[in-house]
Amino acid sequence: MTWELFLLFFQQSLMSGLVTGSIYALLALAMVMIFNTTDVPNFGQGEIFMVASYIALVLLVFASVPYLVMIPLTLAAVFFGGAIFQRLVLKRVALARGASVNLVIATLGLSYFLKGVMRQTGIAEVPRSFPALFPTDSVSIGMATATVQDFAILGLALAAMAAFFLFFHFTRTGRAMRAVGMNPRAAILVGVDIERMRWLVWGLSSAIAALAGILISPKLLMTADMGIVVILGFAAAIVGGFTSLPGAVVGGFVIGIVENMVGLFVSSKAIVVAPFLAIMLVLLLRPQGLLGGKATAKKV
Amino acid sequence: MKIGTYIQSALVVTAAALLLSGAAGAQEPGLSKDSIKIGLFGPMSGKALAYGEDPLNAAKMWYDRINKQGGIWGRKIELVQEDDRCAANDVVAAVKKLVEQDKVFMLNGGSCSTATVAAQEYVLRNKVPFVMLNASGDSALYPPTDYIFGAISISQRAVGGTMIDFATRSLKVKKLGYLNHDDAYGAWNLEAAQFMAKEQGATLIVESVNPDITDITAPILKLKASGAEALLVTAYARPATLAIKKAHELGWKTPIVIAVNGIANLVQMVENVGTKEAFKNLYIQELLADVPGGPKLQWVYDMYKTAYPELAKTPDHPSPYMPYGLASAMVVTHALNLAGPQPTREGVAWVLRNLKFESGVMAGPIEFGDNDRAGQESAIFLKFEGEKGVLQPGVYSNKWKYKG
Amino acid sequence: MKRATLAVVILLALFALPMVASGYILYLANLLMVFVVLSLGLNILIGETGQFGLAHAAFYGIGIYTAVLLNNATGAPVLVTLLAGASLAALIGLVLGAISLRMRDIYLALSTFAFGEAVRWVFASWTPVTGGPNGLRINPSNLFGFKLVTDRDAYLLVLVVTLAFLLLTIQITRSRLGSAFRAVRESEIAAAAMGVNVRGVKIAAFALSAFYAGAAGGLFTTFSSFIHPESLGFMTTIMVLTMIVVGGLGSVVGAVGGALILGLFSELLRQLLSFQEIIYGAILMLCMMYAPRGLMGLLERKQAGR
Repeated sequence: MTWELFLLFFQQSLMSGLVTGSIYALLALAMVMIFNTTDVPNFGQGEIFMVASYIALVLLVFASVPYLVMIPLTLAAVFFGGAIFQRLVLKRVALARGASVNLVIATLGLSYFLKGVMRQTGIAEVPRSFPALFPTDSVSIGMATATVQDFAILGLALAAMAAFFLFFHFTRTGRAMRAVGMNPRAAILVGVDIERMRWLVWGLSSAIAALAGILISPKLLMTADMGIVVILGFAAAIVGGFTSLPGAVVGGFVIGIVENMVGLFVSSKAIVVAPFLAIMLVLLLRPQGLLGGKATAKKV
Repeated sequence: MKIGTYIQSALVVTAAALLLSGAAGAQEPGLSKDSIKIGLFGPMSGKALAYGEDPLNAAKMWYDRINKQGGIWGRKIELVQEDDRCAANDVVAAVKKLVEQDKVFMLNGGSCSTATVAAQEYVLRNKVPFVMLNASGDSALYPPTDYIFGAISISQRAVGGTMIDFATRSLKVKKLGYLNHDDAYGAWNLEAAQFMAKEQGATLIVESVNPDITDITAPILKLKASGAEALLVTAYARPATLAIKKAHELGWKTPIVIAVNGIANLVQMVENVGTKEAFKNLYIQELLADVPGGPKLQWVYDMYKTAYPELAKTPDHPSPYMPYGLASAMVVTHALNLAGPQPTREGVAWVLRNLKFESGVMAGPIEFGDNDRAGQESAIFLKFEGEKGVLQPGVYSNKWKYKG
Repeated sequence: MKRATLAVVILLALFALPMVASGYILYLANLLMVFVVLSLGLNILIGETGQFGLAHAAFYGIGIYTAVLLNNATGAPVLVTLLAGASLAALIGLVLGAISLRMRDIYLALSTFAFGEAVRWVFASWTPVTGGPNGLRINPSNLFGFKLVTDRDAYLLVLVVTLAFLLLTIQITRSRLGSAFRAVRESEIAAAAMGVNVRGVKIAAFALSAFYAGAAGGLFTTFSSFIHPESLGFMTTIMVLTMIVVGGLGSVVGAVGGALILGLFSELLRQLLSFQEIIYGAILMLCMMYAPRGLMGLLERKQAGR
């Protein structure tokens, strides 16, 4: 490999890795939020992301709703969908038996359910997309190439992450949510309505997944099985420490860049396994993840 | 509509089959005086639904038509249908149920190659004639067996081979970038592609990706940086679309050839890429007797609309794979016709091994033979600039042959 | 008394099944028994010991590939190939268990999940050995010189081995090791205080559970003729996990019942075509909402109510 080629590959993997990584970061963020407040790794996350993308498609293309109306409508619909699932199903499961594995299986049920429903609609058989909000003209930075849309994805994802950071640190509700994550009993003692926090978190987390869907669908293409991307969100969350919100963001970028580097410098065949190797490596060297605190005794 | 049969060979085949069936004597499973049972299976649920649904529908409408015309040798075709989920364990369960519980005479089914192959040993052991639906199923075709027939649409070996044939002969390119899957599918088409490249004195630069890939930057950039003069893609629709998009984004203006594996819906593909600019120099592989929407295939689409008026109104129906199912059912009914009034499994298998006919649906004739269990091995190519395909001259073939 | 009679009747019925059932039914029966052994194994790790190892399909695959390769290459007797697969799986389980000692709960679940996916990738990529994406043909197994070709041939062997694993499991749960498993599940600190070697017990649970999975893989090879890495992914682990949770976590009867019921259910659902994912998903959610302790919980509640 020549030096010039090395430079090209290196710069391009950083560029592309940041863009796709920002989506993994959003998905990881959504996952970690739910895990922190309800102790559930949400196996239905990918399908929430998938359904949200199709809602966006139907509104935008089939119902010709303008973009700026479609976004809030989709986010709201998915927010309430997530909240309703928590109120209707998970609350009941938690009451029936606190064990988290039951909650996990319920989210798994959600994932099958949503996939099945989407297949019934008949619009999920062919890969689809909707027009991107931003142009897809290419721009060069150094030797790397990206599109205007890519920069928009990265920018909007970062803005969303910043907004959530501010929300968690400077609003009452956000702080209450964090409190529930850190110590639910203490949170109740200081008067936090823990039930309300739980459905709020489910709603918010689903809305983040929906945002990820809206941003990436024009780039990634939609199918009923697109939820599989969430595995990379999982990987990002683990690399980042699973309980840490900033960790999830960092983890997302790490996974995005690692995927591209492995693809360019090792082999395209190894791209799929790269995230899993990253997980094992991080867990072996630093079991609590890159930014995770001390591993606490949480039950799965 | 015209189905050209080769009358002479038909007579010979019928005579031989009559002899064979006379020798058998005992009553064959699934056969009665006025009916013959055929086990039809494919994915009717889950991830692979889109690959199987319309081919199954097309097969059903063909059998229906044959029944309306009086059946075969006075017997009505009785279909027993099973969902195989395109998963190995389920394919085996479906096939065992059809053979042992429902006692069908022969099998017609399978849309996913690797899963379908799982039933191979069982089918051979029980000596049941098996015609695949739209699976290419290469590893059940090579080495050839006495009872399994496939690649009615095309074998993956032929997909790879004809792609190279087209790129080297028609595009006159000698340094080829090749993007395939990292699964069995990809391995099969690559094998013939590598053989053909050597044959034509071309070099092949290969990148294999997982069909679920999210970020396709790395393989495309590597192919571009390698100096390849054309990009050949044998991946599914989603990764193939991502590849077209990415090549355009990277400013790579090389000719692109998309194999039939990647063409689910051309209108949607253009929409998904987002700009017609990316289609300036793009070719697609096609296996049917005519360009999509062409007059030679109108009868197939009319038949579908009559058989499934409701379904035809929903988006993405019929799927581009629909006619393959029709061709597959034709193979079955042709063989049964030629096997005479007292068919046996042995006789039908013998007929199939010697079958050759023009389906009027596929690009080339459907032809089995010594050492050859792949029905259709030719392809045509269209130049597609985002609106309509323009047929390129010539039919392209694959010189790779099974040696064993 | 009643229970004993019931057990005898069931046993007789199981042994008599090949006389009345078609090959298709026997194939289903064989497959269900493989899932019973898989469930029993995962129940030891998750249900009894409370360690969320999610690499079960990987050990199952190791058992399958080891048994197949040994059988195809040497034609060794089926019990040898089965034990070889189970032992190799147990050995790798032992190593994974030892490495995972420092991890807990969610981290353990996720790292074993990653391990499982990496192993599946190895199955799919190590073409010279596993056949890679082409899959691998399985030659008929050899039982005392007799070739097991059909489901009928393999049925009695699969049945006997499955029953042996069932008895072994019951013995283990009643033994000191079984109590140690449960002590670790309830509280590692308390278990250590009672003199339980927590690290050793955890590693033992990993190895034992992997042994079961490997043996289940060996059983699979006795009646199957083809294996493909596609069926050895995370979804298979999740399927087994669902079986033991729906059956009732931590209960032997639950693990068996869950495997049988969900396995049968999945086969019956095939007739429902495109609705099956919706129904399967709904059942999982409803089960967790209204039968949180699984079928065992329902049974116990019914008995207590009487």
